[in-house]
Amino acid sequence: MINISALLDEIKASPYREIVIRTPHTGVVTFADIKEGDEVLGPQGQWKEKPGTRLATLERERNPKPICSPEKGIISKIHSQLEGMFVEAGTPLMVIRHMLTRSEVEHQILKKALYLFRAPERAKYYFTPEVDKKIRAADAHSVVVRDGMELLIMSRMKREVPLHYSGPTGVIYAVYFSYNENMDADAPLIGVCPEDQLPVIQDVIMRVQTEWTEKG
Amino acid sequence: MENKEPVDITRHKILVANRGEIAMRIMRACRTLGVAFTAVYTREDADSGHVRLAREQGGDKSLYRVSSYHDANELMAVADDAECTAVHPGYGFFAEDFRFARRVCKRDRRLIFIGPSWKIIRELGDKINTKRLARSLNVPTVPGSDRPIYDEMEAERIARSVFEFQAQQGIARPLVLVKASAGGGGMGIEEVYDIDNFRSVYRRIRNYALRQFKDEGVLIEQRITDFNHLEVQIVSDRSGKNPVHFGTRNCSIQSTGLQKRVEVAPGFVPAQMDYSFDAAKVLQDIVHYSLTMARKVGYDNVGTWEWIVTRQGEPFLMEVNTRIQVENGVSARISSIRNHEGPVDLIAEQIRIGLGEPLGYTQDDVTFDGVGIEYRLIAEDPEHGFTPWVGRIERFAWKEEPWLTMLTHVPTDTPYEIPTEFDPNLALAIIWGKDLAEARERGVSFLDNLHLEGRNNAGEALKSNVDFLRANTARTLRF
Amino acid sequence: MDNTIEKRIQSLNDRLSYTRDIFAGKHEDSIRLLDEKLTEFTNRVRNGEVEDPHTEIVSLEDLFVFVEKRLEKLITPMDRVRIVRHPQRICLRDILENVYDNFTEVGGQDEHSLDPSMLIARAVITRRRGKKMHTQSVMVIGQEKGHGAEFRNGGSVKPWGNAKALQYMRVAETEGIPIHCYIFTPGSYPIEDYPGAAQQIARNIYTMAGLRVPVISIISEGGSGGAEAIGLADKRLMLSHGYYSVISPEGGAAIEGRLKAGQRAAPELIEHCAQNLHITAQDNLSFGYIDSVVQEPALGARPHHFDFFRSLRQEVLRATDEVVITNTKPPMVRGLALARLRNPEANLDEMYVRWGMSGAAKNRMRERRQQKFLRLSRAAAIDNRPFLAKNAAALRDWVTKPWMHFKYDFVRRHQRKLHNIMEELSSEWDVFKGRLFSPWKRIASPAEKKATAKELTTLSNWVDDNRVSKWNYLSPRYKVDRTITCPNSASYGCLDLWGPDLFAEFAGVCSHCGYHFPMEPEWYVQNVFDKGSVFEFNREIEAGNPLNFPNFEERIKAAQEKTGCRSGCMTFEARIDGTKLVVAMLMGTFRGGSFGAAEGYKFVEAAARAAKKRYPFLAYVHGTAGIRIQEGTHGVIQMPRCTVAVRRYIESGGLYLVLYDTNSFAGPVASFLGCAPYQFAVRSSNIGFAGPGVIKETTGMDIPPKYHRSYRALSRGHIQGIWDRRQIRANLKQALLTMGGRNLYYR
Repeated sequence: MINISALLDEIKASPYREIVIRTPHTGVVTFADIKEGDEVLGPQGQWKEKPGTRLATLERERNPKPICSPEKGIISKIHSQLEGMFVEAGTPLMVIRHMLTRSEVEHQILKKALYLFRAPERAKYYFTPEVDKKIRAADAHSVVVRDGMELLIMSRMKREVPLHYSGPTGVIYAVYFSYNENMDADAPLIGVCPEDQLPVIQDVIMRVQTEWTEKG
Repeated sequence: MENKEPVDITRHKILVANRGEIAMRIMRACRTLGVAFTAVYTREDADSGHVRLAREQGGDKSLYRVSSYHDANELMAVADDAECTAVHPGYGFFAEDFRFARRVCKRDRRLIFIGPSWKIIRELGDKINTKRLARSLNVPTVPGSDRPIYDEMEAERIARSVFEFQAQQGIARPLVLVKASAGGGGMGIEEVYDIDNFRSVYRRIRNYALRQFKDEGVLIEQRITDFNHLEVQIVSDRSGKNPVHFGTRNCSIQSTGLQKRVEVAPGFVPAQMDYSFDAAKVLQDIVHYSLTMARKVGYDNVGTWEWIVTRQGEPFLMEVNTRIQVENGVSARISSIRNHEGPVDLIAEQIRIGLGEPLGYTQDDVTFDGVGIEYRLIAEDPEHGFTPWVGRIERFAWKEEPWLTMLTHVPTDTPYEIPTEFDPNLALAIIWGKDLAEARERGVSFLDNLHLEGRNNAGEALKSNVDFLRANTARTLRF
Repeated sequence: MDNTIEKRIQSLNDRLSYTRDIFAGKHEDSIRLLDEKLTEFTNRVRNGEVEDPHTEIVSLEDLFVFVEKRLEKLITPMDRVRIVRHPQRICLRDILENVYDNFTEVGGQDEHSLDPSMLIARAVITRRRGKKMHTQSVMVIGQEKGHGAEFRNGGSVKPWGNAKALQYMRVAETEGIPIHCYIFTPGSYPIEDYPGAAQQIARNIYTMAGLRVPVISIISEGGSGGAEAIGLADKRLMLSHGYYSVISPEGGAAIEGRLKAGQRAAPELIEHCAQNLHITAQDNLSFGYIDSVVQEPALGARPHHFDFFRSLRQEVLRATDEVVITNTKPPMVRGLALARLRNPEANLDEMYVRWGMSGAAKNRMRERRQQKFLRLSRAAAIDNRPFLAKNAAALRDWVTKPWMHFKYDFVRRHQRKLHNIMEELSSEWDVFKGRLFSPWKRIASPAEKKATAKELTTLSNWVDDNRVSKWNYLSPRYKVDRTITCPNSASYGCLDLWGPDLFAEFAGVCSHCGYHFPMEPEWYVQNVFDKGSVFEFNREIEAGNPLNFPNFEERIKAAQEKTGCRSGCMTFEARIDGTKLVVAMLMGTFRGGSFGAAEGYKFVEAAARAAKKRYPFLAYVHGTAGIRIQEGTHGVIQMPRCTVAVRRYIESGGLYLVLYDTNSFAGPVASFLGCAPYQFAVRSSNIGFAGPGVIKETTGMDIPPKYHRSYRALSRGHIQGIWDRRQIRANLKQALLTMGGRNLYYR
């Protein structure tokens, strides 16, 4: 059993996350009309279909692209000396101080409660096409995994190897990797909720719902 | 040289659009030629030797971090910011991408693509086109169709005659290859050993091709099983009129995935070894055929004509690689150019002619001496299907010798984490000997004195192909 | 107090609030006058101060009548909109109770219905001739607003409600009884769930174009697509205070004012739009889109207007009788019968016309109905074809029709037979020959051996050799050196595409994920069909401004200049691998691909041409935003009109194919496109009834992104397949070989 109260207290002690906004690729930076201390919003709308506050524009090969805020938060630092400059890929542009949302807290605690299927090696991971199709059609919760099931594709050194799931039967509750992102060995890839754990998971969600108030 | 005003290549700046060992060779060649350069790297490659070299030896605006080597937009943006005038693609990535070459020279701010012109890349990059070009010049190609077949009846008729043809040649187990004409890289290819099986295989490949490439054309060819893999190194300047060759190479020692592991120049040594056919004539023929084709298309940079040679001594053209190859150094190692100081550097030659300088010598000025062997040192497990090994290299050292050239991006003074994005190639070792026996002997001695140690996450020791290379040294040039 | 007085006061109160509502703040003096008088009277009555309330209330009622009559003259189009939407407005149930003699609801009861906004009933009418009573049955179909009852959804019918209507139209057809359609709808409910708002309306219109029973429609509130779903009729009546329009005035104002979602249009703009859309009964009567107007009492009919129901009954009976007589009676008797019927003094309850019809009469009725719709709205487009050309076309028809008939129906059929016989004979001969020579076949000669080797090792002939560029037309955007981000890059990791690659070689398709960027109409014209085979016709028919909508002339001119086309529909003949076909292309570049009278004219002509020449007919929808609202009902009428043309073409044995690209919405999809048995879409296209903004506006629902994507449409069963743009040509060829009607010449 996990101690939810202790975990909650721990998170409450520092309920923030610093998000560093970096350039996804090279280009010339133009900052939006924002300054340190401003509040910015993440994607909005029922399906998160409206992008977050525009933070900057990165123009490369005559193709200006907006860089939008991934989360709600307060801008704590802007590297405004970069205005109008050509920057490398991965250059930090600003830092957003983001107050953890209820679902993020839920996520963090669930990570302790769920069965985590971990990366055997540093590589990029993808769902197999069949699973991917299912997830794209509905969501990850619709996929039931079983021991020995061909679930993921591990891609490294230009080679793709199928990866079989091992662990208890359950539904995929959380996905921790994203497209084209390298995962270190031993990093969790998916969080699986075994059927008998469902009450525990629901308890976590309940507790977080009641005890975590979203501020600002 | 006399009829044109001289080109001042030192006014140029080259974007090195590649990583690792080849990026380092390009940068060194630039330094030799007095040409400025700009290198790029990704987050995963921050510790690579090529980044260090660019930092140490590059001038103003000579190193940029980009999101990916595969993103042409990054390369173009960096080239503009660094005020580059030319792009060297190396091998892999954009080397044989005619669209990239086209973009480089058609964009508003034009650059020079150090490689053949994009039309030639497109023409010779197309299997069918190359085969038809070869046939139009009476250059031998693998028996079979030279155009996509769309009709099942016709396909079966051709397959039947490929079987008959092999029977006439006295081939014991004739095989027919069915491949998607739009495919490549080993996808959509299947063997047929019996004409009765043909239709089902044909339909499978056709459906695959339709799904994958939106074109249901297939090629039907003889499958040749017993052969040596030879190459002819061609170099030609922008005039496209006077190609020269830098000899032949034999790349028959390969991994199970048909990737080269040992390359030897020249392609055969008829004076030192017995062959069941006239090896000298074969070498002469493939060089002649390659030059004929190069002249016909007006080939205007470095390139490699790949051949398979059967045990009966018949050469068939496989394909043309319109780029500098990994193994160019082994040919350079046994060549010399009259009135040319220092060792031959084919990459420097490529840059020079790529920027517009005339070649400046003819075939008569190129001479060959001795035998070169190139080993590809790779962290992999030859025992288990050559699976790549991932981990950290802790010690990498070898004994310097006058007959040895080591090309590596792996630092020898600090540990190095092998990036997982790319093939775990560690180094190229080029060994020279006055004859095959000496080259083999030196090769084995090099491998014996090599120190390559490392561990992975689980604490297991590094796996490499050193033993595989050593074991195969004795097989070199034998057929 | 006297109960009847109280009731009459209450009734006056209702009339007063009704009047106040429908004028929305206008004519305050008159309303205040009535209010004051009524309040004063009420107070006095309640205080018992009135001696003769009956006399006084009569004079008060007279005052109401007087004022209402005066206000009646001042009614604006927008006031009519408020009248038909008012909860006190008569609704279908009132009509069933007061116009018909008896009825049974068959489409559900109250809220217990598949769709309570669509009401269906079997009703009977009893008529008397002399002493004999005759009972006649009709199927009554219509939207029910239910005096503001929430569950009726304001008469906004869901797709399955329209499907239910269609089902009972078929029942009526089987039973051979007339259909009376009462249109009380602001528009259809714009959701895509099966059977789909647009596709179901299209199916309804298509079916109604061929129904073999008399259909009469009566319009009170005729809002665009929803109205057409039950509106295609032999006779269309309209209530004098109703409206019939392409779009609600608010919707029109939102488009005119270029408002974003959530913004409200100013009342003046809405009023202005209502005025300019020409939505009244008189307007539509003068355009010819309705056949007659049923006069309502001042300020519109309400349930207590029993006189009105009586006259409505007369009009409905008259219309039904007329349809029957026109098609059943021999010409000499017909005139007399009709004259008797049309006599305004006639009491139709005391006349009896048998509604049963012979098969031949039914066919005549269908043909007459179809011809009537085909004739409509021609004057609303500008026909710039030279006089001679127009008439030459008609003349040629005279000559070519019998020839085509001879060529395709007679010669081809017999030719085929002959051909079959010859084929069989020759195959027999081959078998015989094979047996005869088989002993010699086994041995391969040295010459043959050489030939085999030669074939396998030397250059073969290949017609496709040296084919450098695949495309005959490149988007001009390929000339711009810039990169473009694929909209799917976030989910599929597509790298930026270089414009010159994307818009030339890649044909506007993301090389990583296959997303289709929109291409110009020219791309299709030149890359889908055989090179040089495209022959455009009726180019001279031009989009106009039939309603004289303010400032619209210039906008049409601007679109014409921008695109170099005279209208948003290009019709042409072309070939695909030698197979000829007729194409009508709706171009998204011409005012959003909106569809008006000129486009409809060309579409109808193209369908007729395809039928005459026995060519397949392709509707290629590069893009369409819907009916061109500035043409009002001239635009709406294209829905039934073009559907009639399509139906006639299909029934004549042709193959009608629809291919959607970019965005296809509203009217055209809900009629002549959506009715096609074979509809395909190009990847990344959007298909639907109403765009996300309109859905939010009308239903208050947020819809998920990609709601209208072609893949969704495919899953919902609206379309039959999805094609890759680069494969359109190959897929069309395949379709031509495997689908279609009996009269295509190439079979």
